Amino acid sequence: MAVCAAMAWIVVSGGWHTLLLLPLALSVAVVYKTTRCDNLRDVPTATVALWATIVAGMFAVGIALWLVFSVCVVWTG
Amino acid sequence: MTSSRSDSPSLARVCLAGLVSWLLPGLGHIVTGHRARGLILLICITVTFWGGIAIGGVQDTVDPQKRFPWFMAQVCTGTHGMVAYSWAERLRARPDHAEHTNPSFESINVAVVYTGIAGLLNLLVILDAIGRADRPPEPLGLRANATAAAPATKQGMT
Repeated sequence: MAVCAAMAWIVVSGGWHTLLLLPLALSVAVVYKTTRCDNLRDVPTATVALWATIVAGMFAVGIALWLVFSVCVVWTG
Repeated sequence: MTSSRSDSPSLARVCLAGLVSWLLPGLGHIVTGHRARGLILLICITVTFWGGIAIGGVQDTVDPQKRFPWFMAQVCTGTHGMVAYSWAERLRARPDHAEHTNPSFESINVAVVYTGIAGLLNLLVILDAIGRADRPPEPLGLRANATAAAPATKQGMT
């Protein structure tokens, strides 16, 4: 029973595991802004802004790395 | 006029905030009177850590033999990391443990990152709890914060 419970019960396959960046970025944004904001009423807005920044930044980094990779593949034939 | 005791943070209070914050994420804030903040941190880090375990399985995610640096980060979650580690060790001691490992390499990677980042976030929470240990307690609830600011300003004027 304990072994069955210890198995992974959220099955992520294919390219879908990259979408798990979204909740992780949200978690980082919530914790960071909860520690930084003096007024808790500012936390939701600041969290959404930081979450969007992280996701957009990671997306931009991903595209940049993909472009570098593509260029390297073309150059090396 | 405030007393010297409230001006300088008590060493015991700071140590207590840091220690309980390590034991259970957010508990340092709750103990020092920042309850709403502590509850948010507690829920967020707990969900992140056990969400990672749910993705990768406890046996493959918490493994100091294979991923020691990540294990150190996982232990930063305190009770969560310790419970997961003892659970994983008990499973590894079973003769049929190999049949129950997670075959997906991507899932394990994602799970390790989730649990490790939960631990690193708790380091931030521990430092914040230590920093807030000497601050006056916050009222519970978001709306109460606005009303609490008024008496503080009034007190400062007199």
